[in-house]
Amino acid sequence: MGDFLIVWQQRGDVLEGLAGTLGLLVVSAIASLVLGALLTPALMSRRAAVARLATLYVDAMRCAPFLLFVYLIYFALPSAGIRMSNWWSGAIALILYNTAYMAELLRGAWRELPSSMIESGRAYGFSGFTLLRRIILPPVFTSAMPMIGNQVVQIVKDSAFLTIIAVTELTHQMNGIQATYFIPFAAFITAIALYWAICLVIESMTGLLSKFAEERRA
Amino acid sequence: MNAFDYWSISRGALATVILSLASIALGVPLGLGLALIRWAKVPLLNRFVIGYVSLIRSCPAVTLTLLIFFALPQFGISLDPTPAAILALTISTAAFNCEVWRSALVNFPREQYDAALSFAMPRALRFRRIVLPQIWRASLPGLVNEMTLQIKSTPAVAVIGIVEITRAALRVGARTYDPLPPFIFALVLYGLIVYVLIKTQRVIERRQPVERRA
Amino acid sequence: MNFSGDLPLRADNAPLSIDDNTAPVVLQLNGISKSFGSNHVLRDVSLKVHQGETVCLLGPSGCGKSTLLRCINWLEVPDGGTVHVSNQRMGVRDGSAHKMTDAELARSRARIGMVFQHFALWPHLSVLHNVMEAPIHVLKRPRDEVRAEAESLLNRVGLADKINAFPSRLSGGQKQRVGIARALAMKPDVLLFDEPTSALDPELVGEVLGVMRGLAEEGATMVIVTHEMEFARQVASRIVFMDAGEVIRNRTSGAVLRRAANAAGTAVSRALPGTSRSASGVMKTAPHDRGAAACLIQRVPPIARAPCRPPA
Repeated sequence: MGDFLIVWQQRGDVLEGLAGTLGLLVVSAIASLVLGALLTPALMSRRAAVARLATLYVDAMRCAPFLLFVYLIYFALPSAGIRMSNWWSGAIALILYNTAYMAELLRGAWRELPSSMIESGRAYGFSGFTLLRRIILPPVFTSAMPMIGNQVVQIVKDSAFLTIIAVTELTHQMNGIQATYFIPFAAFITAIALYWAICLVIESMTGLLSKFAEERRA
Repeated sequence: MNAFDYWSISRGALATVILSLASIALGVPLGLGLALIRWAKVPLLNRFVIGYVSLIRSCPAVTLTLLIFFALPQFGISLDPTPAAILALTISTAAFNCEVWRSALVNFPREQYDAALSFAMPRALRFRRIVLPQIWRASLPGLVNEMTLQIKSTPAVAVIGIVEITRAALRVGARTYDPLPPFIFALVLYGLIVYVLIKTQRVIERRQPVERRA
Repeated sequence: MNFSGDLPLRADNAPLSIDDNTAPVVLQLNGISKSFGSNHVLRDVSLKVHQGETVCLLGPSGCGKSTLLRCINWLEVPDGGTVHVSNQRMGVRDGSAHKMTDAELARSRARIGMVFQHFALWPHLSVLHNVMEAPIHVLKRPRDEVRAEAESLLNRVGLADKINAFPSRLSGGQKQRVGIARALAMKPDVLLFDEPTSALDPELVGEVLGVMRGLAEEGATMVIVTHEMEFARQVASRIVFMDAGEVIRNRTSGAVLRRAANAAGTAVSRALPGTSRSASGVMKTAPHDRGAAACLIQRVPPIARAPCRPPA
């Protein structure tokens, strides 16, 4: 039990790690959702070149393990002359990786929409970006809500890989603490409990949003 | 990149494949066991399984691996990296497999089970001859999907020193200062492993087509 | 929109013909043909609709009436022929052979209101916002003005108590009435109805037909594809029969003449084709008389009535 006391004494470091993880989570979730929503029309485009390019990107992200992609970004950016902190390298990697997954799951929800709904949008004079934003995307998001929730949980878990490139997130901080004070069990159990708490919050938020979405379903 | 580099990354592939196969071989039946506990609503264990699945599904692979490798020695169990990695991967995949099996069990037509009951089949026989042959087929896509996700999370074990594909590619890149070729080769190897897995699934599906509902 | 639609009586009591309608032409279809693969759904169909007319398209399943309707607002692109709505060409830029861009097409569709068989309401918006959405975001009208109009339209179709409900909570008949209000909110030049009651339970059909009857009586310009023969007989000013992609009959129904006769204050017989009643001078040469009926059939070029003719 003394071990957990030490963890509590180091709570500054722990909170720093938690903040890092939560920051990565919020930034990546929002950015990948927005970019994914913009990528989905490209995936479904009638212009073959656009669709093929988008599909290539999505397939590449789905085939590659996240850590491999992290290394790619981590090493590729400096050689392209872009210097940024490890945290931002990690965030960029999370965003680019999850944009593909979000685009794919939004595409699945899009295809499930009743076509008459989009057709009536066209018949009433909606087109282009206005059609996308006001008629198509809202029902897509409400029906994809549970899957978006799952993907956000996946973002949390993938963020732990970033400990390998020394990003200040939860696992990295805990690893540092356990190595310094020889308290691996207390440290990692605390980390796992915190990850659990984050995911439970995500799941309950998804549940609340699903209730909101229920009434608005096609 | 020279031939030795290719070979060392391929050796990493061997590690990846062995770890994956081992955790799949253990995790799939374990997941089934957990799902059966939920399905049969065994009083105390039921709650335990719910908690276990919820916890492990939110636990990153890296953190779990670190916990098992570094924390178990505190309780007197000292594991080598490879068994520790297999244990971590198995615990993780069992939780996800539990949900896949459970979904198939929940969708299993109740009538068939009742028919088996009315013929006074003992429980084990009921399960072995009536339920299992059908649900494994229904679970196959979900299980294979989970296997591909599992393979993509194997790089997590690099934190405890195992040289699997990603770590091997990193080492080659660090030596040659040219990270791109080894990473691309690594990507190809991962793609190959996933491809073999999915092809096997298709072959099994063709040999054992899902029977029409009676 | 002009809501007063009385047709003038001819002084010499000669039978009214379609060409006598002096109201402006709202819709003009010329030589429309359309195939889906080897299936020739429409063969050289022409149609003219004047302001204030209620035209019903009737015919067996698969005769192309829905396709024709959808060609009007370019939801289906015809293989041949032209569509003019309020004298503006649909789908092709006026004066050139170029296809319209998506944005231009969208703008031209704003003049046409459409009511769909399966309602096609937007599920994420409340009833009120469904009606308000297009006027605000397509026509760019001010929100307060649109809201007031939307509330009055919903009141008119009998849904004042449901304005904040979501479509998933409404019955079919209620959804279709919202669809009608939504179309009216755009103040379109013409209203298109694609089998508006076909997807409804029988007991809900009446409430929707009631709203449509009200619109017809106010002089709205409507083109209705329907199976409801009795409704068409009572409400349509013209019935167009189609079969196998062609117009086969196009006759002014008794309704228009009844309205005109009522305006003159005479009692009118409700009987339709067969009996020739001389209740008044107007009715003596009524279209019920088979001989006179011939000149009411729209002059369709004979070639269009030939069966199995390859499309233009």
